[in-house]
Amino acid sequence: MKKIMLLLSLIISISTASAQMKIGDSLPDFQLKNNKDTTINLVSLKGKTVLIDFWASWCAPCRLANKKLAPLYNEYKDENFEIVGISLDTDKTKWMNAIQKDKLAYEQLIDAKGFDAKSALLFGVEELPNSYLFDASGKLVAINPTEEEIIMQIKNKVE
Amino acid sequence: MKNINLKFIGIACLVLMTSIQSYSQISKAEIMATGLTCSMCSNAINKQLKATVGVDSVSTDLNTNTFTVYFKKESKIMPRVLKEGVEKAGFFIGSLVITMPTESLKIEGDKAISVNGSTFVLLNEELKNSTGETKVRVFDKGYVTQKEHKKLLKTFSKIASYAVENEDDYHIKAVL
Repeated sequence: MKKIMLLLSLIISISTASAQMKIGDSLPDFQLKNNKDTTINLVSLKGKTVLIDFWASWCAPCRLANKKLAPLYNEYKDENFEIVGISLDTDKTKWMNAIQKDKLAYEQLIDAKGFDAKSALLFGVEELPNSYLFDASGKLVAINPTEEEIIMQIKNKVE
Repeated sequence: MKNINLKFIGIACLVLMTSIQSYSQISKAEIMATGLTCSMCSNAINKQLKATVGVDSVSTDLNTNTFTVYFKKESKIMPRVLKEGVEKAGFFIGSLVITMPTESLKIEGDKAISVNGSTFVLLNEELKNSTGETKVRVFDKGYVTQKEHKKLLKTFSKIASYAVENEDDYHIKAVL
């Protein structure tokens, strides 16, 4: 009996480990704490065009990308668009400082385990920055979209 | 190009020349990687190092841009395996410092220690202490930046083996 249980749990952990976001997948039922210590579930974002952006304070290219994301959010937030930043920072102070410095007004979540973070594994994040664009029905439509692709999605000009 | 902080990596000590039995080899290696993109922003080096045979664990220090690799006791790993791993991931080593038992670094004169087909040439004086572990830095091509290597070719012009760039010859210097 014990052996079967061990085998089962081994199979389960292997299958969850290889789970990765693919185009067509839905917003996952996954929750993280934000910078105000509130728990946010990703699934609650359904209904809006959502860009989930994985970054970290120590990732220079991510900080560069933030400079573009901040104004993008401000421009389109009234058009049913949401950006959610998920930071893999292990040092929360550095994370908070980066949010302030980069003037990030959108939702900031933390999964403080670097590339071993559950959300990173779930989404299959192997490098930073990495972003996932979901349409209003909660379906993944693009991975690392360009700004043009994001705007097209917001304007719903994509089929 | 990014300014690279040089850090030393200790090499595990290799088997003493006269001994038949192999002692534990490199116990720890601290790698500073460089490349065209942010080396810490990619999980590639981390994964490659973790998957390398003989590696016990890998930890990353984002402040110093360093990967610290801990090896299993029985591991007979050589620096070139680490270099190949980093390069396979698309990056380059900026600095490699390995930790080895001090005993194995006792060399007389210009003699080098030979282990499992690889040679370690000590570039500075012998170490006084013969106990514990020592950190040594590898100065060969591929373990330092290209710029540094050019300078070192001049500095070590008297050491014949350095310019040959044999992948199994390591030129090392103890680091305090």
